[in-house]
Amino acid sequence: MLGRLMQGERIISGRRRDHLLFLMDNGIYVVTVVLFIIFVFFAPFFFTQRNLVNILISASLAGIVTAGYTVAILAGQIDTSTQGVLAVATVTTALLFEEAGFSLPLTVIFALAAGIAAGLFNGLIVVNGKIVAFVATLATQGVMIAIALFLSGGQTITIAREGLQETVFIRVFGIPSSVWIMFLCYIVGWVMLTQTKLGAHIYATGADYRAALLSGVPVDRVIRVALVISALTAALTAILVTARAKQSALFGLAIAGSVDFVTALTAVLLGGFSLFGGVGRIERNLVAVLFLTILGNGLQLMDVPTGIILVVRGFALVFAVILSVLRARMS
Amino acid sequence: MASDEVILETTEVDKSFGAVHAVRSVSWKVYRGRVNALVGDNGAGKSTLIKLISGALQPNSGGFRVHGEETRIGGPAGAFNLGIAAVYQDLALVENRDVVMNMFLGSELTRGPGAIFLDHKGMLQQAHNVLDDIHARIPNVREMVRNLSGGQRQAVAVGRALIRGGEIIIMDEPTAALGVEQTQEVLQLIDTLRGQGKTIILISHNIQQVFEIADYISVMFHGEMLGTRSRDEATEAEVVAMIMGKRSP
Repeated sequence: MLGRLMQGERIISGRRRDHLLFLMDNGIYVVTVVLFIIFVFFAPFFFTQRNLVNILISASLAGIVTAGYTVAILAGQIDTSTQGVLAVATVTTALLFEEAGFSLPLTVIFALAAGIAAGLFNGLIVVNGKIVAFVATLATQGVMIAIALFLSGGQTITIAREGLQETVFIRVFGIPSSVWIMFLCYIVGWVMLTQTKLGAHIYATGADYRAALLSGVPVDRVIRVALVISALTAALTAILVTARAKQSALFGLAIAGSVDFVTALTAVLLGGFSLFGGVGRIERNLVAVLFLTILGNGLQLMDVPTGIILVVRGFALVFAVILSVLRARMS
Repeated sequence: MASDEVILETTEVDKSFGAVHAVRSVSWKVYRGRVNALVGDNGAGKSTLIKLISGALQPNSGGFRVHGEETRIGGPAGAFNLGIAAVYQDLALVENRDVVMNMFLGSELTRGPGAIFLDHKGMLQQAHNVLDDIHARIPNVREMVRNLSGGQRQAVAVGRALIRGGEIIIMDEPTAALGVEQTQEVLQLIDTLRGQGKTIILISHNIQQVFEIADYISVMFHGEMLGTRSRDEATEAEVVAMIMGKRSP
């Protein structure tokens, strides 16, 4: 049956199809809870306050970047430039704070501005150049990483000056600020996508570009805004990653292994989004991010070798892609 | 029917695409509150003429009179402002969005400052009202458009045109892809719209259908407007002859 489904055959229909789609869309909630319970019993130190806070911090970094990424995906734009934006913003943060001696607020403003500039650059290539986002942002990512390398001289910039980590990761009710920022991102994202005109236009543009255009939706502007939001959240994540590590994370890989394009993509697909845009709910992505973080954390605590963990994560993406394609062919 | 009022008139409208002379000096009258059918073979220039009227294309020369006033139709937005709304052949509906969002796409109702937030309640209410007015059988306006039948989709697209204040509604082959029952549904929809005083421009290939529903039948051939007949004075044989290029006496 799976084979026939994958070939795009409509072998189930009507109510049964709707039920199956509902299951595929919401299964992530169940799976996450089950995984959590399994680790509570089998992963040592998993269910401790310290570890749970750790999970939340890790999830927050991946979660923020995924929130913006989700918006781009919804508008039908696969933004692959996340790592490039991270690189530019992390170097900007480290350089301005450590070497130029900027105040923290000013540093944050410039790092975010770098993100906005990167998003506008993406928009320019995608909209004005009429190039598919997946390819265009792959190219701009290269440019951004090169700029970051040039700015930093290829060196990791260590932050010795006090104040960055202490302020950025200030705890509110015992929970680090990044976690609150993540929740805020999802609340703002949810409101924007479901309650505003912009949100309606983002969904419509992603679901059917031509129909949206003919209906008078300013599709080009919508795509630009979506790409800027995606880059902006990547820059925000970069600031947090830099503050946490007290050094620039040039490729967004060195310390922020969970904050990459692949994680965001996996989370988005597990969360029930279509790669082709226009379908999905942002709150499910939050759960998907938690799922991936719990998975990595739990396996680590069970002393599973890193290589195996990476393989498991790889399979999670493969599974997510299959799920996404199945869903697209069924609906 | 001399008593019928002309709501829209093209005067010597001309359009070429390079060497292709798609619309040749067409002067055409569209009557208020009537179903004005536009027939002709493939490539006769119907679609181009319609695009000129709906603002999707601009003519090389010639003009338009709407409600008796000389006017320019500057793009689709300008056409909307004149009360002209086109229902495209593929309907331009977004499959993965519900009926309400489709009906208001591009003209969403908003509330609060800056027109940022959607007025979900207002849109729901108005969608119900409009669909009731045209007797559309859509049980759940929160249903995704992908789950609707062809006739229901047509109703949604027409509903969108009405929400935008469409007085002159252009329907391009609305029954081309539909079965018998749904075709009847769409013909009834057209009849309902006429009953409410809307003006319909109907493009169709189906001569029988045109004779069933239209008040006026206009025939294009090779970019020219051969003539307009009221349904009562025309015969199918005459119209078919005109479609094949025979000018009637």
